[in-house]
Amino acid sequence: MLQTRNLSKRFGAHTAVQSVDLAVHEGTLHSIIGPNGAGKTTLFNLLSGDLQPTEGEIFFKGQPITRLDSARRSRLGIGRSFQRTNIFPQLSVFENVRIAAQSRSTASFDLWHPASSLGAVSQRAGEVLREIGLHERAEQLARELAGGDQRLLELAIALATDPVLLLFDEPSQGLSPEDAKRLMARIRALAARYTIVLIEHNVNLAMELSNEITVMHFGSVLARGTPAEIRSHQGVRDAYLGRRG
Amino acid sequence: MKARSLGALALLALIVALTPLLVRYPTLEAQMLISGLLALGFSFLLGQMGFLSFGQATFNGIGAYAAALALLHWHVPLVLLLAIGILAGTLSALVVGVLSIQGVGVYAVMLTFALNEMAYFSAFQLKGITGGDNGLRGLIRPDLFGFSLSSSLTYYYLVAVVFVLAVYVVLRIIDSPFGHVLRAIRENEQRAKAIGYEVRHFKIAAFALSGAISGLAGALYALLYQFVPLEAIDFNTSTNIVIMGLLGGVGSPFGPILGAAIYTLLANFLSEVWARWPLVLGVIFCCIVLFLRGGLWELGPLALRRIRHLGGGNVAADSKPL
Ligand SMILES: Nc1ncnc2c1ncn2[C@@H]1O[C@H](COP(=O)(O)OP(=O)(O)OP(=O)(O)O)[C@@H](O)[C@H]1O
Ligand SMILES: [Mg+2]
Repeated sequence: MLQTRNLSKRFGAHTAVQSVDLAVHEGTLHSIIGPNGAGKTTLFNLLSGDLQPTEGEIFFKGQPITRLDSARRSRLGIGRSFQRTNIFPQLSVFENVRIAAQSRSTASFDLWHPASSLGAVSQRAGEVLREIGLHERAEQLARELAGGDQRLLELAIALATDPVLLLFDEPSQGLSPEDAKRLMARIRALAARYTIVLIEHNVNLAMELSNEITVMHFGSVLARGTPAEIRSHQGVRDAYLGRRG
Repeated sequence: MKARSLGALALLALIVALTPLLVRYPTLEAQMLISGLLALGFSFLLGQMGFLSFGQATFNGIGAYAAALALLHWHVPLVLLLAIGILAGTLSALVVGVLSIQGVGVYAVMLTFALNEMAYFSAFQLKGITGGDNGLRGLIRPDLFGFSLSSSLTYYYLVAVVFVLAVYVVLRIIDSPFGHVLRAIRENEQRAKAIGYEVRHFKIAAFALSGAISGLAGALYALLYQFVPLEAIDFNTSTNIVIMGLLGGVGSPFGPILGAAIYTLLANFLSEVWARWPLVLGVIFCCIVLFLRGGLWELGPLALRRIRHLGGGNVAADSKPL
């Protein structure tokens, strides 16, 4: 579903992503793990179109998308969440999700009718909020949500755009262990319906959830394979897993 | 549209209809409404989309010149003159919009300013067309479908009807799917892109709408004074529009209308008794920027909240913008 070829991103002299070849297959949950600064978020920014690569190519459903901006990629069906909460703070929780759902409607240049008259859009927003478990907070301003709920909203916005591929960047970051567990259960449920690429700091959680894992280290791919293969990979153990005991 | 907005609009229409009957200064009152439209055009960009434009006089001036020239040279009927003002304002705002959204942050603001200066100097140089610093003179306000508008009171009512209609249209736009996208862009442009919106297109369209309102104001202005001074396109006018907007508050479309009314009144009466009246304005302006970020319009909800708070009511529900 998603492929990269020789993908690189340099910031000045610093290479954040180096010659990454990634293949995400349809229907899988593919995790990307690696220590801080390994280039995981930068890779996501390249995949979502928030950054342009210095080198290399990206293919989505076989089509090159390297030169498309983030809005075009979103409309093709790539949805993402951000590691640093990236919501619409002064809008209500409902509106945060509703505006994301509205992006799939052709009515966004309608200047005359009330936005609330877009029934299907509001309905979709309501569904997503219920699915994510934020429906009771719908009328609150997004900035007034607790940190954990903002992380959920981050996912809800991505989901409401009805993507086929979801890129989740450390969705459980900043959550309490219980909330993180609950969130992972939600992601497991989503994996039945979407192709998901997940950046996850907690290696054990990633191992539990994923079909495939890519390990990044200093911008490059250090290893890839099934959780079992990664667990027994000597390079990964030395560079990364070993340090965590 | 929300019932609250509709109620506020009805109240506004009532005030606009009665004012010149109670206090007879129809020319000044027409000026207040025209300034209100200019401030509304400015606040639409800042309040809804988060774009600070320091060049609104460009659209006002070009709208005024276009309508005035069409009247002088082709004796175009009144309704068409207003349409020409709208069209000219829209087109000039498209140009300014396309160019200035290339800039980021303060550079975008500077572009609206620089383009305003260019428009001003063009108007100044093209004496044969605009009259340069003598202004464009010799306009005679045409009839409306055979109905004379030569008295300032009848002309006031034309302005009033157009004004109320324009506010109604803006309220609808604010409540529309398009208006909601603008607020998403204001809140978080990167995320708006990430969920699939071509942010550039929305920004340019918002500029066009702001230009349409400002160009309409320009045409009404030209017909009010039957004269277009160079001042209509002057950067000073842009600054005054910014002040009116911030004075009243850009969060609600009613804020800039209030701000423009107060500004026009102060400019008219204080300037007669005291030449240094901008000093008073400066003090008020500083107080608002420092203590009342939402502008004077915020005083209403603030007072309401106080009252409800005393009664133990819900506070948060009121803090949402109109
Ligand atoms: N816009 C940027 N400009 C310059 N350097 C950057 C930029 N974005 C990231 N980097 C650098 O690139 C490297 C990779 O950063 P990235 O955020 O991709 O890592 P990460 O794997 O997501 O780390 P974490 O686990 O902490 O989220 C880091 O050294 C970072 O400082
Ligand atoms: Mg990261």
